[in-house]
Amino acid sequence: MGAAPTSPIREPLVQGHKTYHQITEDLCSPTERAPGKAWTLAFIVALMAATWGIVSIIITIWVGIGTWRLNRTIGWGWDITNFVWWIGIGHAGTLISAILLLFRQKWRTGVNRAAEAMTIFAVICAALFPAIHVGRIWVVFFFFPYPNTRGPVWPNFNSPLLWDVFAISTYFTVSLLFWYTGLVPDFATVRDRAKGFRKKMYTFLSFGWTGSAKHWQRHESLSLVLAGLATPLVLSVHTIVSFDFATSVIPGWHTTIFPPYFVAGAIFSGFAMVQTLMVITRKVLNLQNYITIGHIESMNKVILVTGTIVGVAYLTELFIAWYSGYVYEQFAFFNRALGPYWWSYFGMMTCNVLSPQLFWSKKIRRNVTMTFFMSIFVNIGMWFERFVIIATTLARDYLPSSWSFYVPSIVEIGIYVGTIGIFFVFYLVFVRVAPVVAIAEIKHILKSSGDQYVITNGQTTLHQIEQGGTALQVAGHGDSHGNAHH
Amino acid sequence: MMLVGIFSLVATYIGDDHFHTRFWSNVLHNSVFFTGVALMALFLLAAKITAWSGWHTIFKRVWEAYSLFLVVGLVLIMIIALGIWGGWHHLYHWADIKSVESDVILTGKSSFLNKNWYTFGSLLFVGLWVFFAIRIRQLSVDEDINGDSNFTHARKMRVLGAAALPVIGFTSAALIWQWVMSVDAHWYSTLFAWYASASMMVTMIALTIITLIMLKVRGYFPLVNIEHLHDLGKYMFAFSIFWTYLWFSQYMLIWYANIPEETIYFNTRLHQYPVLFYLNIGLNFVLPFLVLLRNDTKRKYGTLLFISCVLVFSHWLDFFLMLKPGIIHTAHELAAAAGEAGHHTAGATPGFTLPGFLEIGTFIGFLGLFFFVVFNRLEKASLVPSRDPYLMESVSHHT
Repeated sequence: MGAAPTSPIREPLVQGHKTYHQITEDLCSPTERAPGKAWTLAFIVALMAATWGIVSIIITIWVGIGTWRLNRTIGWGWDITNFVWWIGIGHAGTLISAILLLFRQKWRTGVNRAAEAMTIFAVICAALFPAIHVGRIWVVFFFFPYPNTRGPVWPNFNSPLLWDVFAISTYFTVSLLFWYTGLVPDFATVRDRAKGFRKKMYTFLSFGWTGSAKHWQRHESLSLVLAGLATPLVLSVHTIVSFDFATSVIPGWHTTIFPPYFVAGAIFSGFAMVQTLMVITRKVLNLQNYITIGHIESMNKVILVTGTIVGVAYLTELFIAWYSGYVYEQFAFFNRALGPYWWSYFGMMTCNVLSPQLFWSKKIRRNVTMTFFMSIFVNIGMWFERFVIIATTLARDYLPSSWSFYVPSIVEIGIYVGTIGIFFVFYLVFVRVAPVVAIAEIKHILKSSGDQYVITNGQTTLHQIEQGGTALQVAGHGDSHGNAHH
Repeated sequence: MMLVGIFSLVATYIGDDHFHTRFWSNVLHNSVFFTGVALMALFLLAAKITAWSGWHTIFKRVWEAYSLFLVVGLVLIMIIALGIWGGWHHLYHWADIKSVESDVILTGKSSFLNKNWYTFGSLLFVGLWVFFAIRIRQLSVDEDINGDSNFTHARKMRVLGAAALPVIGFTSAALIWQWVMSVDAHWYSTLFAWYASASMMVTMIALTIITLIMLKVRGYFPLVNIEHLHDLGKYMFAFSIFWTYLWFSQYMLIWYANIPEETIYFNTRLHQYPVLFYLNIGLNFVLPFLVLLRNDTKRKYGTLLFISCVLVFSHWLDFFLMLKPGIIHTAHELAAAAGEAGHHTAGATPGFTLPGFLEIGTFIGFLGLFFFVVFNRLEKASLVPSRDPYLMESVSHHT
């Protein structure tokens, strides 16, 4: 048999004894039906939130960022907190696509499409903040280095803020290409089933895909090249975001562990957001056979691992702050834990380090309701983390005379809620237009990971191999389609 | 090989200054280096178990054997710890009571940097690692005989593997700070432990490739094929990039912020150890990057073996560069305090500025010891874990 043997210890990734046709039906149908009540209601709520956000952005641009109640000491508040939060969330998609592809994790196929879409929408939300936080959005093109007549006004190439512009725009472009490349064959599948205007639309979107061997070959090599490009990009984006802080000399910001720790935190928050979306999507669209409990468990494990890595980093920072013998550094951490914003540090530690430890229990890892709440917890915790780093640190300057406190205004809160609205508007449109689970990729793993092909635990006897011998004997029995060997 | 090592150590001891700084720094350097390799083998094994990884199964006994070197590592580290109690060496500035009393920063750190923590912390933490290494090994070997179709052993190993990960994650950092970072007792960097771990990890993977090719040439591991080595090559490439990423993050952030207390570390290395400084980046990043980037180079025994040998040596140099500048500085200060002029003069110090023959001899000796222990352990069990549930996946692995 052609398919590589899959260990009998593994769980099947496609359930319900699906045939190729059923897969097409299940995954295309959400784009072909009229939207249900749940979708309509969610869309209206998301649209309202987005409207609040857009109004708040207009107020900000009209009046100025004074409407945010930032002050001379605390120059960055919710704006950059939200920016880093969204960028972090925007990591999971490309991570799942590229890095899990490199590690040959087959369970990525169930969730990669939605996660990549999420990445793109999250990066769009993130990119809003640097643009509006400068206050004078009409000169935002100053960000971009191009030959100009503005004399000395030229982006500072030594500034990590400029590196951000490059990193994020490159990341966005490659992620978009990657996502779209995967979508082309699936759009073609939808096209072949559609009629009228929909047929025209999907014909356009699928770029004339015919499914010929040549097309597949090009598709595969392009995917591989993009995966290779995307992998360093995933790491670079949050590394550079961390440089925004770590290149400074502010105690609590300047610490060498920031780059890898930000990346781990980004994966952590990205997976949490994927969980939030997947748990709802699989329920609403009836995709439990494709996004199985096994998928959810795997993602929960990633959350546990990255949460613990983040925990190691928090404690390292705390310990080295003491170890450094540098009083300002020591004070910065004293202030985080026991200063005026102590609750945000407490929230960060609880949501990011302590609560994921619940996932040591297999029961909880495989419990959908618990997973949903935990993912919300992690989202909150990771927002707190950025708030702790930004506002708490800035609130206590070197000189006690410039110490300050800050509470966000309704406008600033509105922009945050607005980006969540914009994000969900995009996501909800996406689930109506594109297959949320990659049809072609699920079909690809069906023979090796479909439940009718995998011999489940206990049904098989042991594989025995004699050392030095090349004759491999499989003492298996039963329906071992994928496992017959010689 | 071990004879070369013993000879080198004796020769170093005889020809040394009266603190025997060169001798002891070589012992520390190699002990930490090879204990680290063993730890990384345990860590990767635990990670593989936890991640339900299948492809490595065919050669997992090699990593098990590596991880058992931790027992020897524990003894080696305890010798150094005893040395602090007995005043046999002066590797650590913080171990000198007079210096600590007159130094506010060292006094501040003295509740962590002291001989009790060093000894009992190491004993406890390395003891824990040894426990995990032995337990995982026992289960793995027992599975060959008593493995059942419910995969009880695999399940038990998953529990152990998952538990080992956070334990190693937290404890390794604490010990690397004590063993390595504290030779520059004033300096600190939050990234340091991860940086040192990445260095050990690259070494471990390179050594695995060397071991597998060596054994394959002699007819063992017939089922390990170029697909497995290709994946190990990818790991070596990926961790070399990761090492570079951490090297760059640490260097760049310290350079950019330009705080004298931090830049002193790189200042010393950049100006007094320029050869090693640039060699470190050249051999550990540029070379593996350029060579291993191509697909076909990871599928050739010769190229893989060559790069692996270079990387083992050049990461050993990396540890040399982490340890020696701090140690010689401490030795100079002590010598100055003891009124010994002459020692403090600038210029090359044998065994410190660059590794000499004796350093390389000691390295070869420790490498011999490492392989002696590893092969001794490999002999004790079947090379192929015949009832491992992932074995079939591993045998027919293709990249």
